[in-house]
Amino acid sequence: MQKVLTKKSLPQWVKKLLSYTIYTPVEEDDHWNFVATDNPEDINLDYPLTTLSPKKIIFPQREIFLEFCDSTEGNPEVKEVLPAEKSAVIFGVRPCDAKALTFTDKVFGGDFKDIYYWKRRNQTTLVGISCNTPPYTNCFCVSVNGSPYSKEGLDILLTDLGDKYFVETYTKKGEKLLNLAKGLFKSPTAKDKKDLEKIRIDSKKKIKRQIKNIKKIPPKLKEMFDSPFWDEESMSCLRCGICTYLCPTCHCFDINDEITSSSPIKGKRIRTWDTCQFPDFTMHSSGHNPRPDKASRLRQRILHKFLYFVDRYQNYQCTGCGRCISLCPVGIDLLEVLDKVRDYGS
Amino acid sequence: MDPNTYIPKLAKITHIKEEVGGARPIKTFRTQFFENNNFSFKCGQCAMLSVFGKGESMISISSTPLIKDYLQFSILKMGRVTSSLHEKQVEDIIGIRGPYGNGFPVEKWKRKNLIFIGGGIGLAPIWSVLNTALGKREDYGDLTLIYGARTSKDLVFKEELEELRKKMTVHLSVDVEEPDWKEFVGFVPQNVLDKKPSPKNAIAVTCGPPIMIKFVIKALEDLGFKDEQIYTTVENKMKCGVGKCGKCNIGIHYVCQDGPVYSWAELKKLPQEY
Amino acid sequence: MVSLEDLKKEAKQILKENKVKYIIGYKKSTNGLMPVPAFIKEPEEVEKLVWDPTCVFNLTRYLVDEKRRKTKEKEPDERPVGLVVKGCDSRAINILLQEKFINREDVYLLGVSCENTGVLDEKKLTKKIKGEKVKKVEFDEKDNFIITTQEGKTKIPAKEILANRCLECKANFPVIYDVLLGEKAKRSIDNPFESIEKIESLSTEERWTFWKKQLDKCIRCYACRSVCPMCYCDECVADTISFAVTADTTAEEKAQKIKWVEKSPVSSENFIYHMVRAIHLAGRCIDCGECERACPLDIPLRFLNRKLEKEAKELFGFEAGFDPDQPSLISCFKDEDPEDFIR
Repeated sequence: MQKVLTKKSLPQWVKKLLSYTIYTPVEEDDHWNFVATDNPEDINLDYPLTTLSPKKIIFPQREIFLEFCDSTEGNPEVKEVLPAEKSAVIFGVRPCDAKALTFTDKVFGGDFKDIYYWKRRNQTTLVGISCNTPPYTNCFCVSVNGSPYSKEGLDILLTDLGDKYFVETYTKKGEKLLNLAKGLFKSPTAKDKKDLEKIRIDSKKKIKRQIKNIKKIPPKLKEMFDSPFWDEESMSCLRCGICTYLCPTCHCFDINDEITSSSPIKGKRIRTWDTCQFPDFTMHSSGHNPRPDKASRLRQRILHKFLYFVDRYQNYQCTGCGRCISLCPVGIDLLEVLDKVRDYGS
Repeated sequence: MDPNTYIPKLAKITHIKEEVGGARPIKTFRTQFFENNNFSFKCGQCAMLSVFGKGESMISISSTPLIKDYLQFSILKMGRVTSSLHEKQVEDIIGIRGPYGNGFPVEKWKRKNLIFIGGGIGLAPIWSVLNTALGKREDYGDLTLIYGARTSKDLVFKEELEELRKKMTVHLSVDVEEPDWKEFVGFVPQNVLDKKPSPKNAIAVTCGPPIMIKFVIKALEDLGFKDEQIYTTVENKMKCGVGKCGKCNIGIHYVCQDGPVYSWAELKKLPQEY
Repeated sequence: MVSLEDLKKEAKQILKENKVKYIIGYKKSTNGLMPVPAFIKEPEEVEKLVWDPTCVFNLTRYLVDEKRRKTKEKEPDERPVGLVVKGCDSRAINILLQEKFINREDVYLLGVSCENTGVLDEKKLTKKIKGEKVKKVEFDEKDNFIITTQEGKTKIPAKEILANRCLECKANFPVIYDVLLGEKAKRSIDNPFESIEKIESLSTEERWTFWKKQLDKCIRCYACRSVCPMCYCDECVADTISFAVTADTTAEEKAQKIKWVEKSPVSSENFIYHMVRAIHLAGRCIDCGECERACPLDIPLRFLNRKLEKEAKELFGFEAGFDPDQPSLISCFKDEDPEDFIR
């Protein structure tokens, strides 16, 4: 469905959606973040890129799986904990971040469905905003088969046409949101459609960073497993978790029991994000570590995204948001690393 | 709605046997579920055992799927969860979820000679497939077990091994000389070279410490075994068991789902990160 | 005035003479304004080196990696590592020497002065020049930076775009070095603890609200710990498993490892982590501000460290990083030390 919505009527639309939990980008200190709000005036679609992607809402950093209580020492009671039933709308989702969810969909789907993920995924409607100008200095979505107006993973996409938004819906979930405020949406004129087309062509051109010949990278990586390249490239890595925690596609996690009382034993089993960049991620109880140094861990990050995931799911596990580049404390540049990989040995 | 894959089923410990004492103790546990929940598994598969308050640990099932009334796990005391399991008593309750992994392709091994080569606690996954073959004895050719540990005290299933001699060929070894030891002295790979099992129409299954596996494979290759005839298991750190948490990832594989059983032909192709 | 050519000359010389195994300095970034660490092994590569007010990183952190690598090598190369150090970075060297984490002969220090000013804050600059691409940043040796963009040159008062740590810097020139480039000129600061005094003036409730909001943002990426040259412990209180595991570590030892900080990023755990880190940095933090710069969520971590720095100064007259032979704050006792906190 294609419609237009004047910018002034955006809050009126949101007002009709208040039975949902509404998220919008908000500027906090020196960065942007998705925050829940019940004030329709808070919706802000003119923002750069949030530090954390909407992944944090669908796949929160902390998820309680179960609660246990063992008051008899040996006969525990166990109670399953599930996410609350509450529909949500996220406004201002960048196309790269929405596309990333189509990748986590694959990981959390399959034979063993992750019901925590799917419950949140299914009860959340994603309202995207096209990137008419790149929201971030290191955007490169076009290089990884994305685009600044990609609809993948989105229910609705808004495109800023100046005084109004061009509105496209792609799913039933999306249409439902429009139907809640039918009167506000008008059919687009021929000029609106022409404007949209022009903006789209321009928006792609404005993306400056890119990976040339990305197709050459996976086969090259296959040969480079034992290369000293990784030692060189990882020299400056600090082994922090920024690149992976802020990545909209990274999905690795840990599960731990956290105790709130030791007599009787009471506590929760909790999933938290984890990262292949931390040394304890793969360390066996015996002390043996299959990935003992930062070279092997950087290699894992790059190979997982640009080789293993490609082999398994036919997609690069990267949507070109550029967070790992811009926020790396020592400026490790994924695109530079990939350029070097592509040209390695030639 | 889909079942919640992360919630374990409660099971009662019905039997505990101390296999090995000392600094690296091993105990064998048998468990029974409270409700029949169709826990059907293949030999070589694993289960995630829970001690509530300590966490979970992925353990291979050492009983054969032919036995339906209990699950058996032989566990080396190693870290937080296994130490806590070692403190458990009969009647205590733990959580179990699974089964996970691919299992041994025993159906494909019919009419073949099977050679099992184990070291230390590595006999646990072998025990499941070995007993499956024994349970359907007529389906398989010759059965041989080559098994060793540091000392005779470190051998698991000691009494069962004596019983086993009546049914199949058993070669035991200890790493260093000790009084009254009448069998082979030396490491398991050396014992393999000493006993020279024939590669003809044979499958070799080896489990044990990584360094032992490495040299057993080399010994088997020296004896003429092809990569497709050698099977082993990989044990990486695991948390979810269902190919999502990323911990056990090697290359395109998640060991918890695509493993833990690999032929040497398959394993060779993966990054050596285990 | 620090001349980049002089820096390159010195670097080339020590590499040619095989005095150092490699040099850690700054080189241009491929993705932004701020230069990135350069690991230079060959004399010809010194051309990559850069030095200007955008060289913010504290490179002394890499000495921790270097030491770990060296302990694993069978025949380690005993030559020192060449290191470009600013004033604050050089104070970090003094702490590592004081704590005997490194020996003086492990490093060859190419000291660079911040020329009366300091390094700049990327975020502050980006806000000032909105969208323009910065080509060059220079000190003007007074109180300004000269910023060259495609639009031309602009003069911006230093205090508007200096990194916060530099606004309160006590010595913006190296205090320990093998070669010094630039002047030992000291910028006068009215009150080095000005920013922390604002926080101190808040009521307990206000401070609680402030810190709860700030620390609740923490995602425990541990960038603050990873970037800090003083966070060199093999085993950190924040880790739930022990890294110091050998074949002889018993199952009991591993099982009994206390989880001081759970992995859940919730208030209680985030507070413990940041409080423990701050306390462990008391008398050790030299205010390079790297933790705060690295934090992707802009948690003002310097406040925690500065508060302890202020306490150390006021109670014990202690300043970290000026003298490698000074006993450490935590391990020394003097008769005149205040005791009124003991009840």
